[in-house]
Amino acid sequence: MTDQEIVAKINSSLAEEFEYDLAAMTPETTLFEDMGLDSLDVVDLVIVLETAFSMKVREEEAIRKIRTLGDIHDFVIAKKRQLEGDR
Amino acid sequence: MSYDYAVIGAGVSGITCALTLARSGYKVALVERAPRTAPLLRGFSRHGVHFDTGFHYTGGLGPGEPLELFLRYLGVADRIESFSFDEKGFDLFRCDDPAFEFGFPVGFANLREQLLGSFPGERQAIDQYLDQVGAACRAMPYLNLDAELSQESLLQRVIGPSLREVLDRLTGNELLKSLLSVHSLLYGVSSREVPFALHAAIAGSYYQSVRGIRGGGLSLARAFDARLAELGVQVLCSREATAIELGTGGAVTGVRLADGELIPCSTAIATVHPQLLLDLVPEGAFRPVYRKRLASLEETVSAVLCFATCDAPLPALSGSNRFYVPDAGAVNELGGRPVGQGALYLSAAYRNGDPVPAGFIGICPALFSDAAAWQSRRGERPSGYAGYKEEALERLTAQITRAYPELSGRISSIEASTPLTVRDYCATPLGGLYGVKHMVGQYNPQPATRVPGLFLSGQAVASPGVMGAVLSGLVTCGTLLGHDRIRKELKECC
Repeated sequence: MTDQEIVAKINSSLAEEFEYDLAAMTPETTLFEDMGLDSLDVVDLVIVLETAFSMKVREEEAIRKIRTLGDIHDFVIAKKRQLEGDR
Repeated sequence: MSYDYAVIGAGVSGITCALTLARSGYKVALVERAPRTAPLLRGFSRHGVHFDTGFHYTGGLGPGEPLELFLRYLGVADRIESFSFDEKGFDLFRCDDPAFEFGFPVGFANLREQLLGSFPGERQAIDQYLDQVGAACRAMPYLNLDAELSQESLLQRVIGPSLREVLDRLTGNELLKSLLSVHSLLYGVSSREVPFALHAAIAGSYYQSVRGIRGGGLSLARAFDARLAELGVQVLCSREATAIELGTGGAVTGVRLADGELIPCSTAIATVHPQLLLDLVPEGAFRPVYRKRLASLEETVSAVLCFATCDAPLPALSGSNRFYVPDAGAVNELGGRPVGQGALYLSAAYRNGDPVPAGFIGICPALFSDAAAWQSRRGERPSGYAGYKEEALERLTAQITRAYPELSGRISSIEASTPLTVRDYCATPLGGLYGVKHMVGQYNPQPATRVPGLFLSGQAVASPGVMGAVLSGLVTCGTLLGHDRIRKELKECC
């Protein structure tokens, strides 16, 4: 998967599961202010990412620092690379 | 009449929510589909013998222990009389292959000694297991009122490790692992799936103390009823909730009942199975991801149960349950074997007011799919079901009398229930004995939802069993009124 494909998959998954406008999603989009997510949604966010990329992300310290869509892109890309490196 | 809170479901968690909110001065309505509150807790009677269906014995009910404290806080502790189970063997475990018997004594120190007697070469594993169980119990918020309540403590269950992972690290002795996993029958999740933290909280409370209630779950249900009346909770039985109504701003405005009446309220607490909640709220109220999450929650194992009366008293069953497994692997296969070939649990049943058991209840984990062919509405089972049920009862009875020959020839009446019965009485879509599983990798719902004024409670939220249901009610009320406030009020009852 290329970085662009990962970004596209993250955006489309989140748009569908959180009912957000795909066209309005940029790396600067903030999850809490722009997308209207709150602390309750964090678990669902983790579930969406785990399902979309068939990986476990719940143990990650980094997930708590995520503020923008770009942070999610960077996090998943790094995680994918790490998993590929482990193989 | 408008209410501050409408609670859907008068099971133990719904009653706990109603009592907690009412004692704080709120106006509360409690809505229940069944003709009376807490139907599962009440059980039923046959030939003068009372059979408990929702409560058989519990940990944490000794003086000063968590459940006793919770019941005191709710104002029902003085209305029930509890009694101690056999301190030398509250649960008698028996395995046929290899032939092995073990009586679980009350108290961590006694248990350690007893385990060392049976497994002298496993000292390190036994010590570490018991230490870890004790530590996990102390870390449980609410069970320990000083334990930190954090997102991490909640996520610990999802992350694991599982009970099996912990045991595998400690020992290679399959019989010991099987013995220490046997209480998985009390929460309906196999050792491979159950988070060690949850197993420890439940099993650990039994290691500490084991008690029953005189008159069984029915006495507790009556005590709850008296307290609900005392606090002025409006109890609406035989009234099924069919919808949670939302206003134009998306916030809860009331609970709609099957007869069309609206119970106006600013906050609704749903204690129903999370999958059934989806039918109560408008389609767009939850995000797709949350709907999917609730819809895909796995359910605990179902069971075939039997209820027997005996022609002579059964003093051996007094204050002492039986756990039987044909072989060491059976404990790990909850429901994975045909009825009559897997693990088995027996508990005493009493004639009204008599301290010596006059019958017994047998529980054998079973898969819902075994009975699914005869699915239909309650009371309208299709033909063929009777034959299936009879065969299941015959197999279960044969296993019981083979495992416990002393019961052979003493049974004067015996009846069965199937996974379909469990589905209808526990209101769990797939007949789960303990509702939704608590398992590693599964995110169970939290009390708060994104619908303003809609909160969840019930076994799915905190833990299974009477203790788990009370706990989930308190956790939900903690979310509503502030955890510090509830914990402070609980401490004042200490």
